[in-house]
Amino acid sequence: MIAYVIRRLLHTVLVVFAISLLIFFSIRLTGDPVTVMFSAGEPTKEAIEEVRRNLGLDQPLYVQYLIFLKGLVTFDFGESFRSHMPVMDLIMERAGATLALAIGGTIVSILIAFPVGIISAVKRGSIVDFFGRIFSLIGISFPNFWLGIMLILIFAVNLKWLPSSGFEGPQHLILPSITLGMILSGILARLVRSSMLEVMNQQYVSTAKSKGISDWAVIIKHAFRNALLPTITFLGLQFGSLLGGTVIVETIFSWPGIGRLIIDAINQRDYPVIQGGVIFLAVIMVVVNLIVDLSYSLIDPRIKTGGSGRA
Amino acid sequence: MVQKVLEIDKLKVGINDDGNKIAIVNGISFSLQKGETLGIVGESGCGKSMTSLSLMGLLPPGVEWLDGDIKTESLHFKDFKKKDWRKIRGKRIAMIFQEPMSSLNPVYTIGKQIMEMILSHENISKKQARERALEMLKLVGIPRPEQVLDEYPYQLSGGMRQRVMIAIALSCNPEILIADEPTTALDVTIQAQILELMKKLQEQLNMSIVLITHDLGVVAEMCDRVIVMYAGEIVEEAQVVELFDRPRHPYTKGLLSSLPDVNEEKEYLSSIPGVVPAPGKMPAGCRFAARCSFAHERCKNTPPLFEVNGSKVKCWLYENGDSEAVL
Repeated sequence: MIAYVIRRLLHTVLVVFAISLLIFFSIRLTGDPVTVMFSAGEPTKEAIEEVRRNLGLDQPLYVQYLIFLKGLVTFDFGESFRSHMPVMDLIMERAGATLALAIGGTIVSILIAFPVGIISAVKRGSIVDFFGRIFSLIGISFPNFWLGIMLILIFAVNLKWLPSSGFEGPQHLILPSITLGMILSGILARLVRSSMLEVMNQQYVSTAKSKGISDWAVIIKHAFRNALLPTITFLGLQFGSLLGGTVIVETIFSWPGIGRLIIDAINQRDYPVIQGGVIFLAVIMVVVNLIVDLSYSLIDPRIKTGGSGRA
Repeated sequence: MVQKVLEIDKLKVGINDDGNKIAIVNGISFSLQKGETLGIVGESGCGKSMTSLSLMGLLPPGVEWLDGDIKTESLHFKDFKKKDWRKIRGKRIAMIFQEPMSSLNPVYTIGKQIMEMILSHENISKKQARERALEMLKLVGIPRPEQVLDEYPYQLSGGMRQRVMIAIALSCNPEILIADEPTTALDVTIQAQILELMKKLQEQLNMSIVLITHDLGVVAEMCDRVIVMYAGEIVEEAQVVELFDRPRHPYTKGLLSSLPDVNEEKEYLSSIPGVVPAPGKMPAGCRFAARCSFAHERCKNTPPLFEVNGSKVKCWLYENGDSEAVL
């Protein structure tokens, strides 16, 4: 088990190295950052050279990369071209907000999708199942910006119950979490429903029923626990992408998250921030996947991570 | 004096498709005596599994109890609510299934799965339940029972898993054990061990067994009495020796003659021509007539179950007992 975790973490180092190569060179294909900085007026050649020197952009590319790599080893992503703040500080400042939103969205989606999926499967073909499936379809096909704006209109503008933007306290988390969670829960409910249907046909569910235990004990203890495996995989992947891909929701709710940090940095060709942000997300993604893999063996004893033990 | 533990009275089970009822089990009646092993034999799709599932109230979705009743001395199963079924299941009637490889839940330990049964019917502590579970594992002959208690099903072989299933089923001392093809998925030596075990435990605990099988060898080995089912109906009911010595219904004869005989050298095994008609497409009259080499005019009407020398047979040939049945 421990050997497995160590192996996976070494794997992570390789992944980060590959991504550092990819991101470093690919953003440099987008053009010269210095020209964007002088958007107003006509800069002199000397002024441009001066800025380049200050930012270290006058060095040959491979030297720049080695400097970047050296920083990476010490968790130092350099300074922002714009604000001149350390990139690590910028990321850490925003990581909390992003993490809070990802967790909030995931919790909302679980709270909605698990009951809907389970009941849909148990009452297959009934009117409840019909509405459950309609709900999933709506969840999948609704654009999240529309849902976000609607929630703001109703709960922030008309009812004035909840704040519409920023992240200053737990109440700020509610609307963006619901927006994200609703969208996610559509797919999740479908997945839960289909895994449940598959598991409910298994012989051990009949065995459980034949013991004379309650219907809900059969459904939750025996069926759902087994249906959880594919669901956890999906949730893990989803959580990873929530950390990086919530730009739309972050924009609607003026959420100070990493997604927006990266988008802004891309617009300004702020290389260190882009590099730092992307690598940070990659590491998070790998770690989440590792946690998902490790959680399998908690749910299903047949899965022994590391390949040791009896087959 | 034989004591009836269960009486099945004109039980009809089937699909109710908007009032259009299609019977899978068509009004069968039989009883189960205390301590006996009753075999139910028939081809796939003859309704034997549906019969056994209805004894537990575990009919699959879409299949309904259409008519008839199942009775014990004091209970009428047809009036049962969900809660009443739960009291019966496991406590009075327990069941083991065909596929030991998949009938245990992969994510719980063996001990937990036995304890769950005990705890749901008996008011005892977890510790006591665990002790009982251990006793049960010893009873069914599991080696290293203390360890197995904390092992998962994937760590056991098929035969061991079926022993665990038997341990679960018997953990609350049921009066009746329903065994739906309990040895079909096991290889022959293990089969014999499991049958042996069931027989031993039956004597020890004085319970009745309903053994569903298509294997006449298993029937000969295990059963006291046999019911032969065909297309949702009982076509013959007899003591086991009688059935093998003197099969009466043409279908039973067909089944027996399709068994290979070690003393006889045959190039081909004989078989019964044709297939079982599908539910909803049953012919009028005798349901076996189309495949029967003795079919005649009278078979256009449904024969009743004739009583013949202590056996029952659903065939016009026995209208006047054995005497006129010239075959």
